[in-house]
Amino acid sequence: MDKLEIRNLTKSFGHSEVLHDISFTVRDGEFLSILGPSGCGKTTILRILIGLEDAESGTILKDGVDITKVPSAKRRMGIVFQNYALFENMTVLKNVQYALVKSASTKDTFDKEKALEKAKEMLELVGLSEHLDKKPRQLSGGQQQRVAIARTLALNPDVILFDEPMSALDVDTRLSLRSELKELQKRFGTTMIYITHDQEEAFAMSDRIMVMEAGDIHQIDTPQNIVDHPADDYVKKFVINNINTKINSLIQFARTEGQDS
Amino acid sequence: MTGTRTAAGKWVPSTALKILLCIFWLFAIILPLIRMLSTMATVNVANIITSARFLRALGHSLAVTAVATIISVGIAGLLAWCVSRTNLKHKAFLNTILTIPMLIPSISHGMGLIIVLGANGWISRIIGLNSGIYGFWGIVIGSVMYSFPVAYLMIYDVLHYEDGTPYEAANVMGLSVKDKFFAIALPYLRKPLISVIFATFTMVITDYGVPLMVGGKYITLPVMMYQDVIGMLDFGKGSVIGMILLIPAVIACIIDMANRDKGNANFVGKPYYVKINKVRDHIARAICIIMIILILLPIGSFAVLGFIKKYPIDMTLSVQNIEQAVHMGALKYLGNSLLIAVVVAVLGTALALFNAYMTARNKTKLSYVLHLMSITSLAIPGLVLGLSYVMFFKKSPIYGTFAILFLVNSMHFFASPYLMAYNTFGKINENLEDVGSTIGISKWGIIKDVILPQSSGTILEMMGYFFVNSMMTISAVSFLASVSDKPLALMITQFEGQMQLECAAFVSLIILAVNILLKVILYAAKRGFSKIN
Repeated sequence: MDKLEIRNLTKSFGHSEVLHDISFTVRDGEFLSILGPSGCGKTTILRILIGLEDAESGTILKDGVDITKVPSAKRRMGIVFQNYALFENMTVLKNVQYALVKSASTKDTFDKEKALEKAKEMLELVGLSEHLDKKPRQLSGGQQQRVAIARTLALNPDVILFDEPMSALDVDTRLSLRSELKELQKRFGTTMIYITHDQEEAFAMSDRIMVMEAGDIHQIDTPQNIVDHPADDYVKKFVINNINTKINSLIQFARTEGQDS
Repeated sequence: MTGTRTAAGKWVPSTALKILLCIFWLFAIILPLIRMLSTMATVNVANIITSARFLRALGHSLAVTAVATIISVGIAGLLAWCVSRTNLKHKAFLNTILTIPMLIPSISHGMGLIIVLGANGWISRIIGLNSGIYGFWGIVIGSVMYSFPVAYLMIYDVLHYEDGTPYEAANVMGLSVKDKFFAIALPYLRKPLISVIFATFTMVITDYGVPLMVGGKYITLPVMMYQDVIGMLDFGKGSVIGMILLIPAVIACIIDMANRDKGNANFVGKPYYVKINKVRDHIARAICIIMIILILLPIGSFAVLGFIKKYPIDMTLSVQNIEQAVHMGALKYLGNSLLIAVVVAVLGTALALFNAYMTARNKTKLSYVLHLMSITSLAIPGLVLGLSYVMFFKKSPIYGTFAILFLVNSMHFFASPYLMAYNTFGKINENLEDVGSTIGISKWGIIKDVILPQSSGTILEMMGYFFVNSMMTISAVSFLASVSDKPLALMITQFEGQMQLECAAFVSLIILAVNILLKVILYAAKRGFSKIN
């Protein structure tokens, strides 16, 4: 069953077309990464999917229903940004509670107390129970991103979009957050679309990867198939070579480490 | 673009609001200004600007302004260095004291100077200076008193936020003090210093308070404009002088914008590390103490003068001046001033916030136009704005009412608070509205619950700026106030005309007291807010 079906999206800013007639589908419950260099149009796709921007032409179907003209809040989707976009004047707990109380996008309505319980529960899931009364700026980057994830998950959306959520974080934090995110996905069964320019991240997390360049889709397939059967030279160069370089440097690193000890 | 509401839902309301704001600016600033400038078609401009009287005034203005600007920026730079590049204690306190002169009208500085160094000034009598300090040097000293705190704040900010790493690199390389100054400090300071110099120059050349009080026969352009318009109702000549006064302000504004845009590359720096050096600190302390005494001398003098019967004939303490001032309506005018200051603080701040939201957080091409319109007031001296308003609004129903005073002050002081809000809004996370719209919180909801609470400190500062300046302004309002809605500060010009220095001193003192009180309240409110947040 397809969760989302995107048909013939085009989008221009001024005279430059950033998306050329893009079509693809997203399966229910899958983790799809959109991988490409900066400026390839991946963020634009995300913003169109959730309704923050309008496409010039094209259709978006969710569960078979046309949502192209439906306002963001009614699409039952959530988004997590690279810069967290937390409410700095509220505590961690209040960030999630506020979203629940004010939200017009959940099925259930939350009064303040119900929202408080739900917020606590979600923050516990992301391991922040000890930080409920802190302000966002008192937390590390990884913790702030966990708050943003909890805030999004709390509203129980059908699809969550991630716009390079980890590119501001250090390597260790990224690694642990990756596996936590996968855990959460398993638990909630939420469809996730994840934007990144980091090949390793895409390969480690995704059910399928969509490789993009300059407004075009080059390939959309499982990590294994992309490695085994890259669609064209671009995929080979941008994906496979990069991965190989990384693996080689890791092997090199392991060797020298081994010699030292 | 279509005119219907789209899924993203951004176009329709925000563009309409921006157009509405642009129309507002058209009527509040641009058209009045054009109205004033168009008067020049009806007068013989060449005759006016080649007349001996005009040329003399122009020469006087340029001479005093040039000298006052150099001294003012020099003192400001020295003091900013003394406070920011030493290990003196109580820096916040020093900053407060050094900027007290910003809380009283320029004309009060002139008055303070007369009390100290006038023909009968108490220091004049001690040192035997019989003729007093009228004319060129009087205006220079008064203008320095009035303008240096602004220059000080600007330079202090620049020094305070200067990146320390180049100096540390230079120390490691073993560069001399001289080399460090020419290789690091000067290139870094050059652009901000140009802005400071032009801002100070503009402030001094457009001021009429100081030269009116201590100028004597040394007439400057703003005084000439004031006399021509108020005394002779010669709007044509006033407009020509107004246009001349616009020139330095426009140049200052353009330079400032050019500097601002490029200077915003904020990389992560390290604060300048101040080494331990007792001798340097002692010298800096001595300089600060001397300056503080010099600042407080005239202010303290008129504080005392307000309670003296008739200086220097009858030196007994009395409340006679207070009675006299009250008799002449000081309390009523104080009420007017408070009303104007409060309304302007609220309306001006609300308008500035609204405008800044549209330009900083809702960026389109129209935002840029709106931004330019919002900062034009930076380039319009109060006297010029006042004259423009007289001519443009004369036949409108708001003329002669409080409404025009609210409006003219809101516009006159708009640019600085607007820029404060613009900078603060620009720094707040750009995705908040997007998050809101995906979870179904309206833009207004995000503004009310997230953006405004995060900006509470800035909002208080903006209100303070509008309030303090509305309390003490005598420029734009001088052409617009009527007997019934006259603000308190204009009583000083009235008393000056009647040679009642003691009453003028008392009125200045009230303004100072109100403004200090407001600063204290703001300080307490800010601490309260930072505790909540």
